[in-house]
Amino acid sequence: MNESVSITGTDFQKFREFFYRKTGIAFDESKRYFVERRLVERIEATRSEDFRTYFSKLRFEAPGEECQLLTNEMTVNETYFFREEHHFDCLIHSVLPELVRHKQPGEPIRIWCMPSSSGEEPYSVAISLLERWPGIKQWDVEIIASDIDTNILNMARRGLYSERSVRNVPTYLQRKYFSRRGEQYQICDDLMESVEFTRANLMNPADMKAYKNFDVIFCRNLLIYFDDLSRRLAAQTFFDALNRGGFIMLGHSESMSRISSIFDVRRFAEGTIYQKPIQVT
Amino acid sequence: MLLKTRAKPSIATSEPQRGMSLSECEARFSDGDAEVRSQAARELAVCDSGARVLLSRLEQEQSTLVRESIFTSLTQLGDSRAVAGMVELLRSEDAELRNGAIEALKLLPESVAEFIPGLLADIDPDVRILTISILESLRHPLVEEWLIEVIEEDQHLNVCGAALDLLAEVGTERSVGPIRGLRERFKDAPYMQFTADLVLKRIEEGNAA
Repeated sequence: MNESVSITGTDFQKFREFFYRKTGIAFDESKRYFVERRLVERIEATRSEDFRTYFSKLRFEAPGEECQLLTNEMTVNETYFFREEHHFDCLIHSVLPELVRHKQPGEPIRIWCMPSSSGEEPYSVAISLLERWPGIKQWDVEIIASDIDTNILNMARRGLYSERSVRNVPTYLQRKYFSRRGEQYQICDDLMESVEFTRANLMNPADMKAYKNFDVIFCRNLLIYFDDLSRRLAAQTFFDALNRGGFIMLGHSESMSRISSIFDVRRFAEGTIYQKPIQVT
Repeated sequence: MLLKTRAKPSIATSEPQRGMSLSECEARFSDGDAEVRSQAARELAVCDSGARVLLSRLEQEQSTLVRESIFTSLTQLGDSRAVAGMVELLRSEDAELRNGAIEALKLLPESVAEFIPGLLADIDPDVRILTISILESLRHPLVEEWLIEVIEEDQHLNVCGAALDLLAEVGTERSVGPIRGLRERFKDAPYMQFTADLVLKRIEEGNAA
């Protein structure tokens, strides 16, 4: 960290209150170094004189671009198989049993992963269903995975992953669903065929008209990158895309309650997720 | 394996679709299904005279879903009619409408700015406090100046208290004198003394850094 710019305890306190109100992400004292390092980087990148000048820019600059950039820095995450595994547990143990109680025989269960990123999430959904959900023998499931980035979609379709990416996949499942290609892991054809990858921009209403009748949406760690208005628009898009009674799962630092009040909060043993009401009023 | 294969895509490439006209949207507002009304509200976000229809619908609409769509569309429109209509809602008896307006106005700093001095001088202290709630997240360079005017001029303890709370975050050395003045003005109010001292300490610590 550059020693010429310092972040005092008061600065940190001021910043974390502001950041929490804007994003819902709370940094406790243990994250102070992490936060300070990124703040100093942005102070230098924006050629701000000190924290105060930078904070003023962050808070008052009209388009909020700097706030967005800083948010990206504060929330950079990598993707890997079975990330935030409790959501997959929740899908298997709580969500699907509830969904099939309201489904007609022959009706498919539709799951949408948005964004797909490089495919780890939709493939993790597929593996979870095949390995852990007995209902897979009776119900057809469609998994659609979308992303705005065509390069990342191509990677997802290729299905080639690093050792780091599959580190949470138990060895017996690695053997079952992957083959080694040198240092990398190639996902099997059956799984690749089970996910439909599409390019879609969540903020484009024309793109979104085709995305309907989903029972479950995984939208994890995407909305944190959006501004407030875009988050609300996204929430409404997801609401439209879900069947009544359908569920949406957000990332650990995201809260639908802070974005919109149109979803019901559902607290399951595996975690809190959100549901489109069965009766929409 | 019973997972559907992608041989038969389920997501068809959508054909470009014509947006709904103003009259089509108005007609859909009489539909009994809240989802239909919500979609009509969202269509109006790209309609030039959408604000008039949205604001008039807001008065009779009881569905939270539709109200939220209306506020989102008014925010997207962000024109003077939309903003003026939402500013008026700060006087509504309906808390959901007031809160919806506050949340939407926070996202429109440039458009709402011209209304702020008038709102901070409103005869109703509740409107003045709600206006300070808008300032809480408003990205506008005059926020501190507006708050200073409040603590220098407003006679209402709760209004000044709300402004002082926000100065704890946005106050700079410019606020120090006015905060000391406020402390003096409300010397019989322990809460104000305590908060003023806290805010002054924060500002001084910030200066020392």
